[in-house]
Order: sequence, then structure tokens, then C-alpha cells
Amino acid sequence: MKTRTSIRTVLALCATVAGLSGCALPPVQPWEKGQLARPDMLIQGDGLATRFNEHIYASKEAASGGSAVGGGGCGCN
Amino acid sequence: MDHNKQPSVGQALLAAAMLLPALVHAETAPERGAISVKYLDYREDQPGLDRIRVHAPSISVLAPVAGDWAIAASATTDDVSGASPRYHTAVSGASRMHDLRKAGDVSVTRYRPGGTISLGAAFSTEHDYRSRALSLQGTVDSEDKNTTWTFGVGGSDDAINPVNRIVANEGRQTVNLLAGVTHVFTPLDIGQLTYTHSSGHGYYSDPYKLVDNRPRKRDQDTLLAQWNHRFVGLDATSRLSYRYYRDSFGVSAHTLSTEWVQSLAGGWTFTPSLRLYSQRAAHFYFDPVYGASTGAPFPPGYVFGGAAFTSADQRLSGFGAVTAGIKVAKQIDQDWSVDLKLERYEQRGAWRAFGDGSPGLAPLRATSVQIGFTRLW
Repeated sequence: MKTRTSIRTVLALCATVAGLSGCALPPVQPWEKGQLARPDMLIQGDGLATRFNEHIYASKEAASGGSAVGGGGCGCN
Repeated sequence: MDHNKQPSVGQALLAAAMLLPALVHAETAPERGAISVKYLDYREDQPGLDRIRVHAPSISVLAPVAGDWAIAASATTDDVSGASPRYHTAVSGASRMHDLRKAGDVSVTRYRPGGTISLGAAFSTEHDYRSRALSLQGTVDSEDKNTTWTFGVGGSDDAINPVNRIVANEGRQTVNLLAGVTHVFTPLDIGQLTYTHSSGHGYYSDPYKLVDNRPRKRDQDTLLAQWNHRFVGLDATSRLSYRYYRDSFGVSAHTLSTEWVQSLAGGWTFTPSLRLYSQRAAHFYFDPVYGASTGAPFPPGYVFGGAAFTSADQRLSGFGAVTAGIKVAKQIDQDWSVDLKLERYEQRGAWRAFGDGSPGLAPLRATSVQIGFTRLW
């Protein structure tokens, strides 16, 4: 049952994003992506700082994860 | 990469951007390597009790290999010491601890014209806990490179042997899945939506907490939305993210994070940040109200030796939390950069959003300092 819910969620996610992607905005051309290449425009930020923060938050809050798979656990939570 | 004799700070930033894995323009392998070193100092307290303190140096390395490959690795040690309440936020009887955690991970990425594939491994060891994990992740780019689909699967195997021997040779196995999409909406807007599901079974109780008996199975789901917008006229970038979380313990949580990255003259960058968090308590968490005949830490009606799920762990209570931070970074030249980040965190039951928080808990406060540098090679 849980797996079915997850699959439905993924399908809904795909449909939503496909809809957003296909909306009226014109496609961005390669020569227009200069600003997007800046480090502060990357979706993923500083790797070590992100690891620190995720580890600290996982040790004092119930929620964790969301952006990666395969991270090692710890005895802190 | 084309090296100018007098590279500008902007070119240096662009060069750094090209080194980072898993970015939206990552259809080509990095041309230069990078090494980053960071040091974290973290301490937390509540009224009347200095709690955990952590010193954690870490290092990460990214190395391009043979044109189409890259290897990334990181290692860290956490020197953790201090006190932790045995139930709720009770100061009396708090357990004292000292531990050294060693953790590392490595990933190998193959870059193809239409996407990437990465294989990763991670480990973490403490004197009473050992974790090993593997992951496989792939990305597929659309023809115009404006959309990247990401898929991942991972698994971890943890071994638990608490020093108080309340249990021995316990374990926990987890499988997690990821599906996400990144899309370039305009030359100044990029967004990402990521869904993860994690299913685990094994020992989830905290062996150092009193009256703590948790289910041996836990399913977790997250939906993470991120949006970056570039303000060219202000030479600044806003970074927004929202995460919804829920699990089979009955916890649901909302996390809203925002950063404003302000570039200044001379390669300086100034980044204030704010994070708001709120969670609903686990269904088996009980408030600090104790049985009339048994007293603390036992809840009313507690049956000794019973199988009912109970926990008085503050981390499973209902609360809200706020983090305010400031980061200052300096790009020294094309190859070197340094940064310093300060953060202040506080959580309180009364700060829970969308409902009442758990009563009777002392506020938890934490301060962290991160200092680091990155060198390209």
C-alpha cells in the first residue's frame, strides 16, 4: 500500500513538472545561461556545509533527508 | 578551460561553478579538481544545562579523471561531548557522553552526452554505531538541456551496540528512492522538485533514553521544492526551498529556508539566511505528565514490561524552530576562496505552526561556526 502511494506521488510529481515545463515560457537558449552558471545559482550549494547542516538537524529534529539517497546513518538520532 | 593571465573574480566564480557535481549544466565532466577543508564548532544548551558540543574538521576532494569521469570523496570526524537529557528536557540525571564519529563517502560519476550516472558509497563509525550505505543515481537531460530528470536508489545497513548493553547486535536496514526534476524557466530562474521515499526496519529506539520503545519499521516521504532567482541589477541571488516531510511515526514537518546571496566589490559575498521549521509530534510521544503512583519518567497508565510504543524524546515532540545565519565569503583569486558562517538556532514547543506544540519542554538553543577554504587545482 505504501509503495503504491509512493508511485502515485511520483507520477503526480512528473505530471506537475511536465505541465510546468510545457507552459508558455519560451525555452532558454544556451547563450542565455550565463547567469545560471554562477555558483550561487546552483541548486546544490556548498557540499561540506550541507553535510554539516543535515547531520546537525537530523540530530535534533525528527525530519531528515529530501535531497539525496544512500547517506550513512548515525547514532545521533 | 581557458586560463587568462589576469582572471577576474567573475571568471573565478564561473570556474568554481564548473567543478561542482550534480548541477544543472553538468553534462560535461569537470576540467579542474578542487579540495575543500572546513571546521565546525557547534554547541547547544537549554536553561540550566550545557548540552552537546561538537568539533568537526572535514575535507572534500573532487578529481576529474580521463575526461568523462569524476571522483568525489569527503571525510570528517566529529568529536562529540556533553550532556543529553534521558527524558524530555529533564536536567536532573542527564547522561554524560563523549564519542568520536568518523565518516566518509566516495562517488564515481560517468558523464555522457545526455546525462550522468553515479555510484556512491558512505560509511560512518562510532564506538556504539556503524553505518554503511550504497547509492546509484542517474540524470537524463532533455534535448535543449533545460530539463534534467534525476533518479536514485540507495540502501544502508546499520549496526547498533549501545554501551549500556540494553540491547546487543541490533541493526537497521533502509532502502531509499529518489525522483526529481530540475528545470530552467528563464535565464534568471531555475527550479527543482525532488521526491524521496525511505523504508526501513530494525532498531529505532534510543537506547540512552528512558521509557523509549519505538516501532521497528519506519517509512519516510519528503517532497522538496527549490527555486533560485538572479537579480542582475542588484548583483544578488535569492535561494528559496520548502520541504514537506511525513513518516509512519506520525511526524509531519514543514521546513522553509531562504538565503540572499549578495555579491560585493573585491570578491566578497555576504549571505544572510533564515530557516523556519515546524513538526507534529510522533503518535507515541507523551507529554511530561507522569503517573501519580510511578512518578517521572513514566506516563500515566504505563505498564512495566509492556509492548506499547512510548517515547519522551524531545526530538519526537511537537515544536517549531528558527535558524538565523550569516555567511561571509571572499574569493581571493582564481584558485582560492575562504568563508566563515555563523548560525543561531532555537526550538520551542510554542513555535509549532499549524497546531499546538508539546507543552512543558525547555527551549533548546544552539550556536554553530563554520570556517573553510577551497582550492582549485
